Amino acid sequence: MWKIASGVFLGWSLGANDSANIFGTGVATGAVRYTTAIVLTSIFVLFGALVEGPKCMETVGELSLLSPVDAFCCTLAGGLTMTALTLAALPASSSHAVVGAVIGVGMLSGSADFSRLYRIVVCWVFTPVCALALAYVLFRVLGYLINRTIPSLTSRNTLYRAGILLAGCYGAYTLGANNVANVTGVYVGAALLSAEVASLVGGLSIAAGVLTYSRNVMVTVGKGIAPLGPFSAFVVVLTAAATLHLFTQVGVPVSSSQAVVGAVVGVGMVGDVRTVSQRMLGKIVLGWLLTPVAGGLLAYALLRVFFS
Amino acid sequence: MFLKKLLSHGQKEQKVVDGIEQHIRLLARACELFKGALETGDRKLVEEIVHLERQGDAARRDIIGTIYEGAFLPYLRPNLCKFVENVDHVFDLLQETALYFREVALPENIQDVCVQVAAINREMCDMLLITFQAMLRGEDLREKSLAVRIYEKKVDDIKFDLMADVRRLPVRDFWEGKSVADFLTGITSISDFIEDATDSLQVIHLSMR
Repeated sequence: MWKIASGVFLGWSLGANDSANIFGTGVATGAVRYTTAIVLTSIFVLFGALVEGPKCMETVGELSLLSPVDAFCCTLAGGLTMTALTLAALPASSSHAVVGAVIGVGMLSGSADFSRLYRIVVCWVFTPVCALALAYVLFRVLGYLINRTIPSLTSRNTLYRAGILLAGCYGAYTLGANNVANVTGVYVGAALLSAEVASLVGGLSIAAGVLTYSRNVMVTVGKGIAPLGPFSAFVVVLTAAATLHLFTQVGVPVSSSQAVVGAVVGVGMVGDVRTVSQRMLGKIVLGWLLTPVAGGLLAYALLRVFFS
Repeated sequence: MFLKKLLSHGQKEQKVVDGIEQHIRLLARACELFKGALETGDRKLVEEIVHLERQGDAARRDIIGTIYEGAFLPYLRPNLCKFVENVDHVFDLLQETALYFREVALPENIQDVCVQVAAINREMCDMLLITFQAMLRGEDLREKSLAVRIYEKKVDDIKFDLMADVRRLPVRDFWEGKSVADFLTGITSISDFIEDATDSLQVIHLSMR
């Protein structure tokens, strides 16, 4: 069972990093308190992992033929990469880290299936694009509807509070449903755990990360990218959640960070594209590119050094 | 805690809204009294203005306290507080000007112009309340803001003529001259601060869209 320890570690890192994508904007705009945010996120992440988590498990497990030791190295490499990026307060992608690690290990054993990787990479590319377009449309449509139907300041204040809360809970649910496969999907592929048990273990470890170490990235995501108002925060979280849910149905674990940054850029573009901090976006894109490469190299090195 | 806020159905928000309306009404009443004091020369009315200013201070403290107890999204709170501070600033300036009025003796022609300015200030307070209520209903504020700017422009025009007349006014000593200058600067600056308060309403309105 020690082999799943690295998966628990990766889940913890994912929870610490990606919970920012759910309530980061809500916390930064002051609509939700940090404590409320992490408690709700952890509950709904676990719920999502248990209900829809198994849908994406196969995709990760089938990228390469993995032994239990390979699976251990993959998740350990993914977890170390995620932790490094979390310490640097960058929104990292666990999907990139784990898929990079699985491919790295697969290349060593010669079992890497690049035809499946192609499908995953296409989904990765479409995640921010989808989120950007959806955020732009939602911002326009919902903005128009709310302006027409709820003009009162106090009613709108209540609506935004409730909207950010509900969208955050939905976001946490989809985070658990989509990203639990990154944490324990490799163990299903290596026949160490059943999909249901993997979902439970993954969900609990993500919730632990949310509860213990998520504050830094939450502030970076919320405040560093674009100045968001409460309505924008609501649209961003709703868009990111809908995007993750869409790709969960496709069966591909994608980056919640990519979804949320795409949504933030989409909302920023409605006002003025100059409100989006280019420097911060550059740092995030750099993190995305480095993550799969670092995950792959690290998994390769771990396997060569410790288990050759 | 969060659910409690949602289920309270905006009670704190309503308390803030009621408080702000009360604050503006007090200001309008003080402006009315000041106009009356200028028209009748009754300096006792100044005491009532000072009393209203104290009530205004208490209203401001209540509003800001309720805001920081959790009324409205934190995103909105600084702008709401800024608006309340702007209204309070008008109150302070009005009280200061009323206190100078007790000490100065103005020739009739200048006093008439001052009554005219005080009447405009009073109308601007009404317009401020109308703008605030329109903002609560989510209505377009452009026309109301424009009306306030027109009033302010009127006061500015009067101010330049007034200052030209005042230069010919004989004064006994430095302190008498200073009191007259401070009084006239005060009465003609009140509209500027009411305009600032209206602008901050526009910011609140836009930030929730």
